[in-house]
Amino acid sequence: MSTVLATRGVSKYFSGIMALDRVTLEVNAGERVGLIGPNGAGKTTLFNCILGVLPVEVGEVELNGEDITSLPVHHRARKGIGRTFQQIELFADSTVRDHLVIAYRANRPRWAVVHDLLTLGRPRPEEMEASDDVLELLGLQGLADEPVERLSLGQGRLLEVARTLMTNPDVVLLDEPSSGLDRRETAALAETLVEIQAERGFAVLLVEHDIELVSSFTTRSYLLDFGHLLTSGPTEEVMASPEMRAAYLGTAVVA
Amino acid sequence: MILAVSVVTDFFQAVLQGVPPGTVYALVAIGFVLTYKTSGVFNFAFGAQAFASMVLFHKAADEWGWGTVPAAILSVLIFAPLLGFLLEWAVFRHLRTAPPLSTLVVSLGLTVAIPSLVTILLDFSPKSGSSPHGVVPDGRTVRYDPFGVYPFSRDELVATIVAIVAVLGLAALFRFTPVGLMMKAVVESPRMTELNGISADRVSAGAWALSSFFAGLAGVLIAPRFTTFSANEYFNIMVIAIAAAAVGKLVSLPWAFGGGLGLGVVIALVSTFLPRWTDEFAWLKPVQENVLPSIPFVVLFGVIVFVPGLRKAIGSSDPLAGVDPPRQNVASVITSAGWMFLALKAVLLLGAVAVVYTQADRTWTLLVTQAVAMGIIFLSITIITGLAGQISLCQGAFAAIGAFAVYQLGEVRGMSVLVAVVIGGAIAAAVAAALSLTLRQLTGIWVAIATLAFAFFFDAVLVKQSWIGGDSLARSRIPRPVIGTIDFQDDSNFLLLAVIVLAVCALGVYLFSRGTTGRKLRALGGSEIAARSVGISPSRARVAAFALSGFLAAVGGGMLVIGQGSVNYGTSFVPFLALFWLIVVVTFGVRQPSGAIVAAAFFILFESVFLKGEIFGWILRGEDNIPSFFPLAPDWRYILFGLGTIQYARHPEGVLAMSAAKRRARSERRAADKVVVDSAAELGTPA
Repeated sequence: MSTVLATRGVSKYFSGIMALDRVTLEVNAGERVGLIGPNGAGKTTLFNCILGVLPVEVGEVELNGEDITSLPVHHRARKGIGRTFQQIELFADSTVRDHLVIAYRANRPRWAVVHDLLTLGRPRPEEMEASDDVLELLGLQGLADEPVERLSLGQGRLLEVARTLMTNPDVVLLDEPSSGLDRRETAALAETLVEIQAERGFAVLLVEHDIELVSSFTTRSYLLDFGHLLTSGPTEEVMASPEMRAAYLGTAVVA
Repeated sequence: MILAVSVVTDFFQAVLQGVPPGTVYALVAIGFVLTYKTSGVFNFAFGAQAFASMVLFHKAADEWGWGTVPAAILSVLIFAPLLGFLLEWAVFRHLRTAPPLSTLVVSLGLTVAIPSLVTILLDFSPKSGSSPHGVVPDGRTVRYDPFGVYPFSRDELVATIVAIVAVLGLAALFRFTPVGLMMKAVVESPRMTELNGISADRVSAGAWALSSFFAGLAGVLIAPRFTTFSANEYFNIMVIAIAAAAVGKLVSLPWAFGGGLGLGVVIALVSTFLPRWTDEFAWLKPVQENVLPSIPFVVLFGVIVFVPGLRKAIGSSDPLAGVDPPRQNVASVITSAGWMFLALKAVLLLGAVAVVYTQADRTWTLLVTQAVAMGIIFLSITIITGLAGQISLCQGAFAAIGAFAVYQLGEVRGMSVLVAVVIGGAIAAAVAAALSLTLRQLTGIWVAIATLAFAFFFDAVLVKQSWIGGDSLARSRIPRPVIGTIDFQDDSNFLLLAVIVLAVCALGVYLFSRGTTGRKLRALGGSEIAARSVGISPSRARVAAFALSGFLAAVGGGMLVIGQGSVNYGTSFVPFLALFWLIVVVTFGVRQPSGAIVAAAFFILFESVFLKGEIFGWILRGEDNIPSFFPLAPDWRYILFGLGTIQYARHPEGVLAMSAAKRRARSERRAADKVVVDSAAELGTPA
């Protein structure tokens, strides 16, 4: 199994405060990996470092064996990292279809002006086809022409996933997909995620508070607290580990 | 040895000479930082507030005969804080959670509205030849020379001392009382502050009153430096002060003070020593004339582009922002309002053009032609602000590039003026793209300030170069084009040509906004981080938008001067006017091309039709029936449109889209009522 995404000794400081301390993790092709830890552990910071939203002070980020530490966000995205957001980030005043079309097009930047003139700005046939496929995969068919303002939170999250699928990612970073959803919605989301992951075969790095979702979805997990990687291994073992209890219940750190 | 001594003496003389203007810049910079720090508003209107106090001071001191001290008390201690309080209460309180760009536009609106409003309300018309004076008698003539190098005038001494005292007082207020902390807390999160039992409204009102007091103080103290009573002078001082404030990233009071002082001294040093070097090095000669006026703008631009971390300094986010409904973006879809509506608009426009083409006299034809050319320029604002969500304050410079290209290529070199228009457009597109590349790391307010710096640099330096504006400023006779057998010397023919160019440009804007780059820009406007994380490059899309915007502005500028037959840079393209363009377009709707076109019609025709009362002449059949209080002062357009931006901040979609939305809501309501009535009828019960 080849490594898709890796961080090697990544450290990050916010005005002297250490947010990440030499974090090293690996995600293999097609693997579902969890990243767990209490609030303020540095999970989202690590996501931002992987995607390039935040610069990394020490260490490297690798994608498919290539060092991408100094690339800007959009280059990393085109090379195969997708992501969703904890507080959903959709494009206001756009339809569901618009989201998918632009994500598809941003990764195939050739002859844009010529195409625009030929189609007068309407989506091209291959874009319609690709977006229809993704919508069907996520069970969003019928919502293609809805403005995003009319979507529910759960649908919005699915749309984020759909949007990132349009870029054909090798690895998707999911940032707390269950946040704001109730149990039933979370269960439905988990089911959908399992299905699409099986179908498309991308790797997933999942940040999540919902223990059930992490347990059911991931096979392997990393436990992060105060910027340190405390432990890693198969998800059940990490869940059962003393470090896990210490991190969440706040007793003295177990050596 | 003697030479060395004289250099040292001159050096000190220059430094001392730079201190009084430096402290004044510092005072404005500090007031400016104060507003920014305590209200989060990048307040361009600060200069206008200063101007308002200065006007009241002179009105009271000279015309009402109050004497300078009571006049100063009235204008600085009473009026200035009241004005700040009023602005906060009536305007900025309601915009606390609005996007920074909206508040920026509102402050630009107030910048043009306040000076006109104050001048009209106070009926302020200084005698010709009179110039502003200071608070002490004989301020200009009595001089003191404490160091034996440079004699300070009384005005300069008063300004320096008062400024230093005011700054120390402010520092003490922030250091020893909780006021400063409370103000910072309100900027960070008004709701969080209120949860701690502090009234955000009161703190914010207090902050505005305090900073407005500084504006008034600066306004009265600077006055003797100027020879005329002009709001433009105050706007220019503002730009210098922004440069000073930018040194401290807009948030540091000590750095703003140091920046202002430093800028004053640097300007004095350069103006002392540069002439000597040019004696030795002849090639410096042409530079000399241009360096001095450009220093503040070069500093401002340089600080913005080169100081790292400036981007991060801005934009704190409210931890409680999640409880708000998602806020409207400045940029958004260029909506397709339905074919019927579009067709109706097109028919109306064509009808209007047809009436003008067949009926109007020469004056009106030329006026409408101007409006059409202006419409092309305004489309550039639709692209850059409406679609790309960036505020550019240098569209006047781009338009002027088009005008100068027509002059240099068409008139001087005898090229076809229409070819010259296209070349001018290409040059402006290249300049705009280069500018945007330089600024690619920046967004929001910083782009606005940097483009403003560029506009002023263009205005102060480039326009005067013989190969750019040069001789056209004195005299120009731009020829009209001839295509085949059609001679556009005929005004009506030229009007048709302008309408065709406008239609092509509007179609281009429409296609651009629906095309790939338009989609990218919309995505970036919706969520920059999400757009980047699907692979959209923000700088590429924005460079494209800037380039197209520069092209449109230049084509419009070129058409404008061909229509007028001459280049009138001073009345058509100066930075202050370009700022007003933005305001007008934003008021009417910056998202649709139609907004730009209607805005242009209003901008050009407003004065003739409404302010001169011409419209009543039409309604009441006859010029004699125009009510006697017409013509109104042309200043009213500044006031109306300036205040119009306030309504923009609450409804960013603009007047046109707002009325369309209201119409839609009404018809939906009617349809809903009808359904209720129908279903009630089916049930056989009275509705």
